[in-house]
Amino acid sequence: MRVALAFIVALVVAATAAATTDATQPTVYAAASLTDAFPKIAPHARFSFAGSNALAAQIRQGAPADVFASANTALPTALHNDGFCSKPVIFTRNTLVLIVPKSNPAGIHTVYDLRRSGIKLVIADKGVPVGSYTLQVLKNMNLSGVLKNVVSRETDVREVLAKIALGEGDAGFVYSTDARTVPNKVRVLKIPAWAQPKVQYGICVVSRSSNKPAAQAFIKRVLSPAGQKIMLRYGFLPRVKK
Amino acid sequence: MKRALAAVLVAAAAAVALAFLVLPIAAIFLRVPPGHLLRQLSSPIVTDALIVSFKTTAIAQVLILAFGTPLAWLIASRSFRGRALAITLVELPLVLPPAVAGLGLLAAFGRFGLLSTNIAFTQTAVVFAVTFVSSPLYIRQAIAAFEAVDPNLVAASRTLGAGPGRTFFRVVLPLAWNGLAAGEALAFARGLGEFGATIMFAGSLQGVTQTLPLAIYSAFAIDFDTALAMGALLVAISAVLLLVLKLVLSWRSSRPTSSFLFARST
Repeated sequence: MRVALAFIVALVVAATAAATTDATQPTVYAAASLTDAFPKIAPHARFSFAGSNALAAQIRQGAPADVFASANTALPTALHNDGFCSKPVIFTRNTLVLIVPKSNPAGIHTVYDLRRSGIKLVIADKGVPVGSYTLQVLKNMNLSGVLKNVVSRETDVREVLAKIALGEGDAGFVYSTDARTVPNKVRVLKIPAWAQPKVQYGICVVSRSSNKPAAQAFIKRVLSPAGQKIMLRYGFLPRVKK
Repeated sequence: MKRALAAVLVAAAAAVALAFLVLPIAAIFLRVPPGHLLRQLSSPIVTDALIVSFKTTAIAQVLILAFGTPLAWLIASRSFRGRALAITLVELPLVLPPAVAGLGLLAAFGRFGLLSTNIAFTQTAVVFAVTFVSSPLYIRQAIAAFEAVDPNLVAASRTLGAGPGRTFFRVVLPLAWNGLAAGEALAFARGLGEFGATIMFAGSLQGVTQTLPLAIYSAFAIDFDTALAMGALLVAISAVLLLVLKLVLSWRSSRPTSSFLFARST
């Protein structure tokens, strides 16, 4: 039975081999907000972009990741504590903004306008880093009541961005770096510095990685002056606050 | 000797196919921690998702039956130019990736879509998504069931003085019943499992648009065991649906009015 199974698995693996192996390049599981910047840092690496929590869940189930880059430090720290990855290092920072569609159908001009009833507010699910940052911002600004206007809790930040860029939602919370990717479609409303959560991105080498040298090289590259310069160009903040 | 070998090979291949289909489903139940499954039933996330799923799927089925049955009857009973095209159009959503269905629904019914409605993020949007992806399963089966009705019986009914409406409800519908029920059950089950088009068009909000599959996806990123328990629940519901269908059909097919169950596809 097991022999037969091994045989079939081997056949399918062989048939799909071309799509899965390239020994020199790491497989990087990265937060959706890194979708634009990371491929510029390492064009040949293979990327899986999604909500950091979904990626962490996949890694816990044995996904073939070499590197995990999360939009917070909590998820990689938890993975590290459970033996799934190396001790995470902070590699960049970000800020939150409120975005509205360019046409601004609900006439929202400040974060406080979200209190009006009938607004379609789109946020990320609370397990997604940007979702928990959003809750922190609203708490800091004493605006937790606007959660009654939430019409959808999305699975990652780019889904929030898409729903607002399409004009389906009236407003949504994303990272400032996401808002910059569609300047003709969304308008950015700043969130005051005193209300900003501490948005730090952590990166680690996955313990089960079969390609640790490539994983370490990738992280080194992200932390290098050249890598950091690319991150800054996409609107990310220096990894150490000045 | 050769024959025996062939028989063994066929049996082995059949066993592999069956095992492949059964294994992932069995694994869900084997991996759900005992007690977790029952505890899940009382969690508000699960009960909300169950209510949203059943409500939206039920409404979608009413729409599918009310509008799909006449369409299937027309396609099955008339020959007209473009009939093959009509059948193809009906079947297209079946083979579309759900993500494409979601895009299409946004492009058609989104706020800035063709019809610019305001239904995105509402339960109506979930109903639309479910109806779009699951109605072809019913309509396709209904066309086949109507086509299988002996035209002589329809003609006889008309000759004996029954109007078209009476003929449809007293002759055609009872004869096509098994096929219609099978198609409807499949559409219902597919509707309960709908994911991609819903998450794109309706978003995900507990108690409003978060159906059971969406809740499972959301739980997967937080707690694998909870996702497994919810998955087991959905498997159980689907299995019961299929079982009820089989029981109803076998009960009916023992009666003289039965027609065959799964018919030609075109």
